Amino acid sequence: MKTYDAVIIGGGPAGLLGALTLGNHGVETLLLDENAEIGGQLVKQTHKFFGDHEHYASVRGFEIAKKLRTEVEKTQVKLSTSSTVIGIYPENTIAYVRNDQMEKVRYKKLLIATGAMEKQLPFINSDLPGVYGAGAIQTLMNQYGIFPGKRFLIVGSGNIGLILAYQLVQAGAEVRAIIEALGAIGGYEVHSNKVKRLGIPILLNHTVLKAIGDESVQGAVIARVDDKFNPVAGTEKELVVDTICISVGLMPLTELAEQAQCKISYIPELGGYVPLRDVRMRTTNPDVFVAGDLSSIEEATTAMIEGKIAALQITEDLEKIDLEEELNEELKTISLFRSGPKSFKIRAGLEKMGIKNSKIEVPKVTSFIKRIEDGKVRAVIECDEEIPCNSCESVCKFDAIKIGKNLNAKPVLDPSKCTGCSLCMLSCPGLAIFMESVDTVTHKGTLALPYEFLPLPKVEEKMWGMDRDGNYVCDVTVKKVIKSPNKTNIVHVEMQDEFVDMVRHIKFPQKESPFVCRCEEITVEEIEKVIDSGITDFEELKRMTRVTMGPCGGKNCRMITLGILSRKTGIPISELSHGTSRPPVKPVEFSIFLRRDEK
Amino acid sequence: MEGRITEHPILNFTKKKTVKFFFEGREVEAYEGDSVAAALHASGIRVLRYTPVNGRPAGFFCAVGKCSSCLMEIDGIPNVRSCMTEVKEGMSVRRQKEKGDVV
Amino acid sequence: MIKEASAVIIGGGIIGSSIAFNLLKMGMKDVSIFERSYISSGSTGRCGGGIRQQWSSPMNVRLAMRSVKLFENFKIDVGNDIEYYQGGYLLLAYTDSEADDFVKNVTMQKAQGLDVELLTPLMIKEKFPFLNIEGIKVGSWCQSDGHANPQIANIAYAIAIRKLGGDFNSHTEVKGIDVKNGEIIGVETDKGFVSTHTVIDTAGANSAKIGEMVDVKIPVYGERHQILITEPVNHFLDPLVINFNHNYYVRQTHHGSLIMGQGDKNPAPGEDLGNTIEFLEEMAAKMTKDFPLLKKVHIVRQWSGAYDMSPDAQPVIDEAHELSRFIYATGFSGHGFMLAPAVGEAVAEMVIHGKSMTMDISNLKIDRFREKVEKEHNVV
Repeated sequence: MKTYDAVIIGGGPAGLLGALTLGNHGVETLLLDENAEIGGQLVKQTHKFFGDHEHYASVRGFEIAKKLRTEVEKTQVKLSTSSTVIGIYPENTIAYVRNDQMEKVRYKKLLIATGAMEKQLPFINSDLPGVYGAGAIQTLMNQYGIFPGKRFLIVGSGNIGLILAYQLVQAGAEVRAIIEALGAIGGYEVHSNKVKRLGIPILLNHTVLKAIGDESVQGAVIARVDDKFNPVAGTEKELVVDTICISVGLMPLTELAEQAQCKISYIPELGGYVPLRDVRMRTTNPDVFVAGDLSSIEEATTAMIEGKIAALQITEDLEKIDLEEELNEELKTISLFRSGPKSFKIRAGLEKMGIKNSKIEVPKVTSFIKRIEDGKVRAVIECDEEIPCNSCESVCKFDAIKIGKNLNAKPVLDPSKCTGCSLCMLSCPGLAIFMESVDTVTHKGTLALPYEFLPLPKVEEKMWGMDRDGNYVCDVTVKKVIKSPNKTNIVHVEMQDEFVDMVRHIKFPQKESPFVCRCEEITVEEIEKVIDSGITDFEELKRMTRVTMGPCGGKNCRMITLGILSRKTGIPISELSHGTSRPPVKPVEFSIFLRRDEK
Repeated sequence: MEGRITEHPILNFTKKKTVKFFFEGREVEAYEGDSVAAALHASGIRVLRYTPVNGRPAGFFCAVGKCSSCLMEIDGIPNVRSCMTEVKEGMSVRRQKEKGDVV
Repeated sequence: MIKEASAVIIGGGIIGSSIAFNLLKMGMKDVSIFERSYISSGSTGRCGGGIRQQWSSPMNVRLAMRSVKLFENFKIDVGNDIEYYQGGYLLLAYTDSEADDFVKNVTMQKAQGLDVELLTPLMIKEKFPFLNIEGIKVGSWCQSDGHANPQIANIAYAIAIRKLGGDFNSHTEVKGIDVKNGEIIGVETDKGFVSTHTVIDTAGANSAKIGEMVDVKIPVYGERHQILITEPVNHFLDPLVINFNHNYYVRQTHHGSLIMGQGDKNPAPGEDLGNTIEFLEEMAAKMTKDFPLLKKVHIVRQWSGAYDMSPDAQPVIDEAHELSRFIYATGFSGHGFMLAPAVGEAVAEMVIHGKSMTMDISNLKIDRFREKVEKEHNVV
């Protein structure tokens, strides 16, 4: 088995710059890339890149890829394309597949630049053909020259979504809308200006609820979201589109780094799970380096610089020469690139790893102020009109409600006298009276409300709590159902205490649940059910539901599942178990291990 | 060919050699270098399989071999990633039955 | 975590869980069980999941048959569907001496009432046309053998234990066992102390380490075994097939995936839960020879787990001579899952009544190692 001084996994901008740097210093290097055409994401980018002259500003992505390849081919670096690495094994061994054959190679130093993969966004029917990742559409359009669709909805207004919209129009397609869940456009203003003047609407505070279609996408339903990202009832809109493009962000592909014994950590500002590394891109395994989107979701420019930094450090390690001047130049350059307002997330993320950048303040997030309740059950009267009605006053045995001589007056409740007997609630014609109590120890609150619908909820049933505007607030659990002879039934529901005076209506939840795990066809609801039954450890949840156990190795569903688990248990994702990465990272046939004559 | 971009403001799509393969027994025309999934998409075929548990139509998602959505039976071998498999003359591509037959 | 327990079980794998479950079912209260990581994190969650009765000694066959009876009622007794499938076990013999062993074993097993029979190569080919029968002398076939999902079974036991009022503590590590005047007085964990006078050591590959805490010698050590799983394909393989000569076992799960493994030539110690690429190379070479259709099937994941090995590859279940009320049930050497229901019942009876009553497990006592060690070689 051959041992290379340096092996690079991934031939995108980071890997190519790494190869170029190592090649220029005469280091014996092998670069493995799984695609037939080297260049990573650059290959499908048709727009002009930002940056400075040194980093190919004003050059289009696919042309940068060609230039870099030409430069690398001038050196002695061995470029191996169509080579998929499937695992990293003990004693610095890499196994990869080329021409349906497994090959092995050893490294002294390793640079992993495997980039990232699109995040999934589960919504109803998100598994229909016609829902594609942004990268997929670019691959179809710009690599294969195939029309990806006619009318598009793009979900996500980061740079990728904005760039894609522009590229789609260039390819002759129509973009119906770009929707963004946040209240601000995620990408650069220049990208969004380009898109705006083409007449493409960018809808902020919107999300996609479902895809419509029998065998493939024929339409999409979008809706406004509130500041808690919950869809606002009544704002649903149907769009006629044949393709929905998901560009809600990228997440680093850390599997091989994990197998190379690099410690990973959950840092959402950098894109999710990332390998821990120092400022020279060295991971917790001193012989392994990372660069590019794998180390943090950023740009091609920073990917290139990181690749160069890693390669310079590797050269220093191997050749025992001093490259400090060059290294410091690159470190200064990358710091400069990261000092602008748009990079605050990256800076915040890097700081969590102990890497400091510019002195620009990171904006702080304000937290909710909780109200303190004393735990007693009390009536809440929401009757704010002067109408002739005093049934509540007359029915109260405890003298807690005062309207007075003139029955047009608004009722006033004396909470100190209220025992929570609910007679007023049963009698109020306007259904304007509720009962509330909050337990500050368990942080649960109970709301009793009048319910005049069929079917009646059942005890322990989970329902949706809606606010005064009909917006979804939270999940509630039915604790008591009291059937009343006057048909104003009373339902007691339990929820987190902070929502008790927001919920004023309960609804049966939507029946359909999106798929989390596409391989094993497991829905959000199924996962929540198992968590509710008491399985709150990620490893146990995985074994009981099969989530993350399909052929994709959890690439699609791990993060979403951890998010659901975090939401249900209140434990932050960074404290949850992430599972173990095992080879092979892609399914491989038994036959690749056989010699040619055995096949 | 229908479904193909011929004129593009930035890119040059040069004429490539045509390749003929079979989808469910019908002949499909593609270009050398196409992936099976891309070639099918160009021919208007978006449903690449029906999921084993619920029978739902599924196509590709990431198109670069990572999400395992595009699995098809190619030349008798099940569970092949059609987005990472290059079309070859005479190739037989089928939607697989449930989880794929090996016997 | 309860502070006083009638019995503390160390190790929440399938054996410990089954014992706890049985103790609670037999009416014992305040049963505590400690698992240092997540449920099924140890050997249980990593094993192949086979359940067979074809063993080479009458007592072992009987114990296995009792276990199968209990597996058949698992859903009703414990509460979960564990994908138990009695698709049979096919054992293959390639040499004359192996064939002789098979003939002897089948005769003995039939006498125990097992539904087992010998198959000629042609009969095997008729039953399983996809199998390459070249070199096979004879096979032994038992229809009531089968397999199940060990991870779900372990978690199912845990759920049932909690429902019955047992104190199942996962992510809790035992740090020490306190002994005073020759009597156990309690167990120290990283979450606190629990007083008890009875300790049951079911820590699998780590059971000797637990024994060391109280100077009890347990001749069990951990040996790493590697295992792989494929993508699901449509069902074609009913039985679990074991090939001692070619050194592998393989079965197809309820889900459609094929699970298979071997015995490594120089196995790494049980604490090493890594993988080697050599394992995939060796498995691919021999599996595709015997099952040519596997050439086109995709491997999805490989992992490893520890066999808790005993000197004769048979379980070691006894009360320690050195310390009374210190009971151990370990050394299952790769066939613990399949015996768990019967072992759980037997050990629970040992704890409550002083000895096992439904089944005789006296042949599994530790004293047998004073005499000649007769190794069970029908294992992979």
